[in-house]
Amino acid sequence: MASSHSNVHSEAAKMEQIITEFHTKSLHIILESRSPYVSSRNFSGEQILSSPSSSSSSSSSVRPRDKWFNLALRECPAALENLDLWRQSNLEPMVIDVILAQRPVNWDTVNFSPKRELVRNLSSKERYPFCWGSDQEEIGCEGKREKIVERWVVKYESRKVRDCSSGSRRSSNNTLSNVYKKSILLLRSLYATVRILPAYKIFRDLNSSGQICMFSLAHRVSSFVEPFTRKEEVEFQRFGFTPVDTSCGRLCISVLYRSSLSDVNSEPSTPISPQVIPDYVGSPMADPLKRLPSLPISRGSPSSLPFSRRHSWSYDHYKASPPSVSFSPSPTYSEPHVSISNPRSRCYPPMSLPPHPPETSLVHKKDTSFDEYCPSPNFTPSASPSPPIYIPGGHLSKGLLRSESAPFSIPAAMLLSSKQNLFPSSPIKIARSGTSKIEKSMGPIQNGTTIEKLLSLGKDDSRRYSGVKLSANSSPQVSFSRSSSRSFQDDFDDEFPCPFDVEDIVPNSRPESFDQKGLVSDPHDPGGFFPIRKSQDAAVGALVCMLKKAPPLRQDLSSTTNLTEVSRPESWSNNTLELSRMSSGENAPSQSVLSSGLLASKTTADALEELRSYKEMKNLLVSQCARSHASSPAEPSSRDSNE
Amino acid sequence: MNCEVCQLKELEVEHFEIREVLRCILHTIVFHRALGLVRPKDIDLELFEITYVQCGDVEVEKKIDEKIEQFISWVEKHPNKKSQICLSFYEVKNKQQSWFTNKIERLYWEQWYVNLNVIQLPKAHSSKSHHSKVLFDPGESTSEERSIRRAALEASLRDVLFQIIKFVNEKKDHVPPISESVVYFPYEITIPSSSDSAFGMDMIKRMLQTGHPTMLS
Repeated sequence: MASSHSNVHSEAAKMEQIITEFHTKSLHIILESRSPYVSSRNFSGEQILSSPSSSSSSSSSVRPRDKWFNLALRECPAALENLDLWRQSNLEPMVIDVILAQRPVNWDTVNFSPKRELVRNLSSKERYPFCWGSDQEEIGCEGKREKIVERWVVKYESRKVRDCSSGSRRSSNNTLSNVYKKSILLLRSLYATVRILPAYKIFRDLNSSGQICMFSLAHRVSSFVEPFTRKEEVEFQRFGFTPVDTSCGRLCISVLYRSSLSDVNSEPSTPISPQVIPDYVGSPMADPLKRLPSLPISRGSPSSLPFSRRHSWSYDHYKASPPSVSFSPSPTYSEPHVSISNPRSRCYPPMSLPPHPPETSLVHKKDTSFDEYCPSPNFTPSASPSPPIYIPGGHLSKGLLRSESAPFSIPAAMLLSSKQNLFPSSPIKIARSGTSKIEKSMGPIQNGTTIEKLLSLGKDDSRRYSGVKLSANSSPQVSFSRSSSRSFQDDFDDEFPCPFDVEDIVPNSRPESFDQKGLVSDPHDPGGFFPIRKSQDAAVGALVCMLKKAPPLRQDLSSTTNLTEVSRPESWSNNTLELSRMSSGENAPSQSVLSSGLLASKTTADALEELRSYKEMKNLLVSQCARSHASSPAEPSSRDSNE
Repeated sequence: MNCEVCQLKELEVEHFEIREVLRCILHTIVFHRALGLVRPKDIDLELFEITYVQCGDVEVEKKIDEKIEQFISWVEKHPNKKSQICLSFYEVKNKQQSWFTNKIERLYWEQWYVNLNVIQLPKAHSSKSHHSKVLFDPGESTSEERSIRRAALEASLRDVLFQIIKFVNEKKDHVPPISESVVYFPYEITIPSSSDSAFGMDMIKRMLQTGHPTMLS
């Protein structure tokens, strides 16, 4: 037998040696495929370099150690080191814990989410002051995080002496050669098994070149079992190799392994750079409302940004994984985080990163500065892949950045889309909407009289207003409610967990067009008289229904109406005036125009852009109106009244 | 000597997956029966996130590849059939001289049956038989379906590997003693063929069980 080359003569001594070598080999096999940078996958190359003699499978160039169990393994310094530490007695078990550890120091112990340098620098608090409350930051808790992914136990269970002798006498089954053969078989299957277990993928990813892995595999060899908690135990599966009976005992190998390493598995294989974040942006977008309510919880781990592949697995993991190791806060957190902040992340250059930069003066730094920081180009397309819902938001901030360098652009943007007017008089707003400010502020006061006024309107007027109303109500339905939900989530999600709560700010936020003319419409109760008037479009009906559902919230909103209106840019109201004029002539086209006009009101840039298109549309409509003039004499009067 | 038989779980594979799947399974088995000094070689599958082990013997690799090619061509001639590959290990015994010849007898001590169900997704590509490593065949089922199916096959393949390992662990007594000079036990790989009556019987049995109409061809 192969063991015969040993110097041991007595059978018992040989058996002892087999047992010892069995432990050694097991350790070698396990660590060889768990200790990174030593891998038989690089076998040929490495072997040629390190030990030319073993580059081929010919047995002529085999080291003595390779001959044991007829299994030639690569050099594995880790195994040898640990062997020295472990080698005590054959009677002691050898416990090999394979540990998944994060390599850099930055680690959020609470969430078990790594805080990489890159991430930290871009981390939420600094970059997205509006998005997260600083009190929920958990940056403070850092430390190295380890997690046992596999626990191998190699042990020799010796029988009592009496059994031992009877055992060896009993059968030829336990002869030296038979034991040796069986241990070879056992080690073969061990060799194959370590490559099938999930942890091997981590090892493989770690070993594949060119990857920056945030995790590493470590190991700990000891002779005692540090028991898992019951909670931990649940996460492990056990595979027990069939023991090999020897004359005096048996050789056992068993492994506890985490059957699912999905939480970490995908990460080491992914470079840090947030490559997949665009997809990432997409996923929350697809269902933004669902995720948003959970934001408060999830704020804690802004560092999850770099888990670029997370979107592909996080949901499952979130549900499935036990809290102890889960990234549970991160998935929910990270999605809104990424989606919301991507447009804005351009606003805050990583270099500046003021802790609370609402007034940051660095707002109009360019995307490039951010991109430099995050080498991956993936932030760039971030706005585009997102569903239309959020695009207004993206444009909003971008537009503001482009068109204005005012430090208040961000707050202004938020105010535009949010009823939470925490910054009642930002310079921008005043500058923009100065003329209409006073008039608008009267809106709520006059609410009570609005209905009468409207009811008393002449037919032409009512028709005209219906056009305006239509535009004002229907389009914000899309644009305002969603964009506001976006900012709400950033800032006020505690108070407004559901984005739809915001919908009824819609009426509040658009009466400017009326105000401009000194007319006050009741934004809250337009539905009451809409049916009375001649609505010329089915959309009005839908709008009314929507508004009818809204009432419970309006009390809250009425108080903030002023400020919202204040923030309205002039251009918006001008546009709507023009459009309202047009709407009297051609309802169908004007409606579409108006709705887009309201969208545009969010940023000056967009508004200007829209204005251009309005002008085109207007020209078109005017020419059409001119034609309709000829046919219907009633129309001119309504237009005249507008002008 | 008793002959242990292991029926491996059936795998539903597409044509282009046959090669990798069979390599993975057959090499894993042979590795466990190569009890001589081996220097294992890890092989990553291309289609699956699976790493299997070869015993590192060139002859074994050659023989397995050869047989897989034969099997693939058989599959092309017999599409939509469930098929079986048998890997048998034997010992060579010189039978007592009989009066007419010196016969060498093979004593089979272990048989592994690899069961494959080669499915043909729409738009079969038998014409591509020589490029069976084509990874993606566009224009068939959606990529989503494919990835789901692929993941399922990967899991099944992993199961089969575990099945092999468990079998190897549980059944050790029938394995012949190791001889120093031989790296692996002699083996043969049997693929279905028209001349193989036993296999034909098996197919008829399967046909009767499944009632698959195309089996009648």
